[in-house]
Amino acid sequence: HLNLSKDLSLLLDYPDDYNVIIQVGENQNTKEFRTHSVILRARSSYFKSALSSNWIRKKDNMIIFSKPDLTPTCFDMILRYIYTGEFDLTKQSGENILDLLVASDELLFEELFRHVQDY
Amino acid sequence: MSSRKQPKGKIRPPKKPNSADAQFNDNWDRLAQAIREIHKKNASILSFEELYRNAYNMVLHKNGDKLYNGVREVITQHLEEVAVSQVVPAFPLSGASSSQTNPNGAGGANFLKVLKTVWEDHTTCMLMIRDILMYMDRVYAKTANVPLVYDLGLDLFRDTIVRSQNYPIQNHLLEVLLQQIKLERENEIIDRTNVKASIDMLLELTDASTKDTVYATDFENKFLETSSEYYRVEGQMLVGEYDAPEYMKKVDKRLNEEEQRVRHYLSQTTEPKIRNIVEEELISKHLKTVIEMENSGLIPMLRNEKMDDLGRMYKLFGRVVKGHDEMKSAISDYIRELGKAINETVTSNTTAEGGNAASGDKQTGATVAVRWVQEVLDLKDKFDKVQNLALSNDKAFQTSFNEAFEYFINKNSKSPEFISLFIDDNLKKGLKGKTEEEVDSVLDKTITLFRFIGEKDVFERYYKQHLAKRLLLGRSVSDDAERGMIGKLKVECGYQFTTKLEGMFNDMRISSDTMTDFKEYLDKSVLEKPKLDLSVTVLTSTFWPMNLSASPRCNLPPELTKACGTFQNFYLGRHSGRRLTWQSNMGTADIRGSFKARKHELNVSTYQMVILLMFNDKQDGESLSYEQIKGESDIPEADLKRNLQSLACAKYKILVKEPKGKEINPGDQFNFNNDFTAPLQRIKIQTVASKVESEGERKETREKVEEARKHQTEAAIVRIMKDRKTMEHNLLIAEVVKQLQSRFMPNPALIKKRIEALIEREYLERATGDRRVYNYLA
Repeated sequence: HLNLSKDLSLLLDYPDDYNVIIQVGENQNTKEFRTHSVILRARSSYFKSALSSNWIRKKDNMIIFSKPDLTPTCFDMILRYIYTGEFDLTKQSGENILDLLVASDELLFEELFRHVQDY
Repeated sequence: MSSRKQPKGKIRPPKKPNSADAQFNDNWDRLAQAIREIHKKNASILSFEELYRNAYNMVLHKNGDKLYNGVREVITQHLEEVAVSQVVPAFPLSGASSSQTNPNGAGGANFLKVLKTVWEDHTTCMLMIRDILMYMDRVYAKTANVPLVYDLGLDLFRDTIVRSQNYPIQNHLLEVLLQQIKLERENEIIDRTNVKASIDMLLELTDASTKDTVYATDFENKFLETSSEYYRVEGQMLVGEYDAPEYMKKVDKRLNEEEQRVRHYLSQTTEPKIRNIVEEELISKHLKTVIEMENSGLIPMLRNEKMDDLGRMYKLFGRVVKGHDEMKSAISDYIRELGKAINETVTSNTTAEGGNAASGDKQTGATVAVRWVQEVLDLKDKFDKVQNLALSNDKAFQTSFNEAFEYFINKNSKSPEFISLFIDDNLKKGLKGKTEEEVDSVLDKTITLFRFIGEKDVFERYYKQHLAKRLLLGRSVSDDAERGMIGKLKVECGYQFTTKLEGMFNDMRISSDTMTDFKEYLDKSVLEKPKLDLSVTVLTSTFWPMNLSASPRCNLPPELTKACGTFQNFYLGRHSGRRLTWQSNMGTADIRGSFKARKHELNVSTYQMVILLMFNDKQDGESLSYEQIKGESDIPEADLKRNLQSLACAKYKILVKEPKGKEINPGDQFNFNNDFTAPLQRIKIQTVASKVESEGERKETREKVEEARKHQTEAAIVRIMKDRKTMEHNLLIAEVVKQLQSRFMPNPALIKKRIEALIEREYLERATGDRRVYNYLA
């Protein structure tokens, strides 16, 4: 599985064929993530609904989704978890970890939530 | 709970809100508004992320119950509006009577269409509502133990629309559905999509108390009741109006339609139920009526070999409990009836023959036998075909047919003889017109009839007689065919049955070897050679059916007597301790006769030869009287008459009889027919070889059979008792019957008599304590 998560992680770092742009954060602290709806929908019931045809908004043929209440750092961890099934909390500050705990609850990543909680 | 809940639609500006309340009001207001927009199909202006976050925040801040109840109210209110504004206006005109006034059910169809739209809108909205309330479903609904929001939506739809307390939606819906189905049954085209939509809707809704679908609780029973009534009426109408094949086609069609209907727009669970109803109303209730329909029922179908109709009946009636039983018994009765008719033609033929029994036309007897068997075989063929083509080779039917055949075949007491005669006929001359395969298949079929015979021992006796005649008179056309037949009998009855038959074959083979040796012996011998070629068949007396223990009376010509003596010396020289008796009644001879026109070679019986040789000493025109011939030849009277008949009254008239006539009577005069002509040089004078027995002979055969049965019964009793040592009367009887029934059905009285005979001869004794128990005496 090592290669799988590595390859998928690369897909996140050097997005290819992406179709969703997710704008994260408020004010100065914002970032755009280029992602793939198939992967998001397959891995998350939140995104499965959020990116369903009933709800998507498109701009220039890109799905635009914004998530202002999360920090880019936090969302980056979530995305990495979505793509690779892995997350590394060791280098993270306590604040970030708390953010991640709250976000994984909101977005219903139950497994992630349990792991962070245990941590 | 939340009696302080906000009135729907608007939020009042908070009077003195603390911040949590304000937060709540704000969140809820947005959500309620969003749900209304969703209902208005305005979702494109909404943001999933925001709405989700609103709901998330409310649940997070312990306002899950308020949220949940709020949602319930918004949806209920919406559905109430839908009921009033969309559903009620679509009610078909004047309710129940509309099916009359509105034959096409257009009003109903429109109502279903509206309902379909309403339902589709509802489910679409609920999916979107579920999306934004996902957090509530996962976190709140689970802990509060309330239905997920989508299911809540279904319950609300059920209670507000389908089972509305305020409007008779339910009545209209059920009535329209049933009416649509009725219209379709009456060949109207309906829009199945609309019906299906409503049915699917009912299937998706659950009844709260039964936990079953609303389809099952509200619709299905009504549907089944109406269907039952519908088909009850239709069944009565159809039996009155159509003949059996048409009736069955209609029923078939109905069953098909109902199955299709279920497949297209009802629930699969209804399939067996509606099928049972149609089967009950259209098949079970009219079974007998259809079977017995005059000119078109089961018997006419059989008579006219309507295989398709029969097959349809088999399939159709097989659906209900009694169906095949009724068919079976009707067909069996019919077979018995046809069998009875076949038996009767035979009896009427034999009585007709009995009227001029003296006619001497012996062939008729065999013809009757052959015709009887042929007719039974034809009947068997017919029902095999029915069995094969229409009844899927159903074993149960086969058994019942077999019983019917067995019944009528055994009603004809002559059947064992007839079947043997039929085989005789086929093994004798049948080969001429038929290939070996054909004969083989006829014989195979005959074996199936043989199976039906109860008295196999009687058959065996006749078969032996007929086989003996074929072998001795050289009538058997193919040895292979004979052996083939014996092989078949062996398969049926085991080797005991056929050892004697095989013994007869062995005698024939050994005799032919013996004759070769005899010729060699004559060549080497210094004795005077006989003036004729003698061919002898040596028969082992126990294998052959006739009484071989004594030589019948007959004065043979001296040359022949001498030749016989030579053979006797030769044979007894090789096999000491044997005894030969000469059966002149069974021999044949080739003699040369000089007639005016030409010489002919005559193949005649030994008796005929004896008779003809008498004329050698006579002048032309000199006659011999019946009495003279009888006195000089010493041939037994019955044989003499028959042989004289063959010579003087049959196809080739070697002798001329005075007075002319078919019968031989005392005082008749016989002359050598010098004027005899025939196209062939070699002539075979037929003596009737096989024929149906006369009453006297039959009685004799019967006695022999009875005698043999006594022995077999005693043998069986001794065998069993030897094994068991002691046994109770009834058990012994049962065991004896079991052992013997493959050959004949022994009656208990016979067995009892044999037991008594064995007690008398001290093979058995009655037990001292219990007179119903026997002991074996070693």
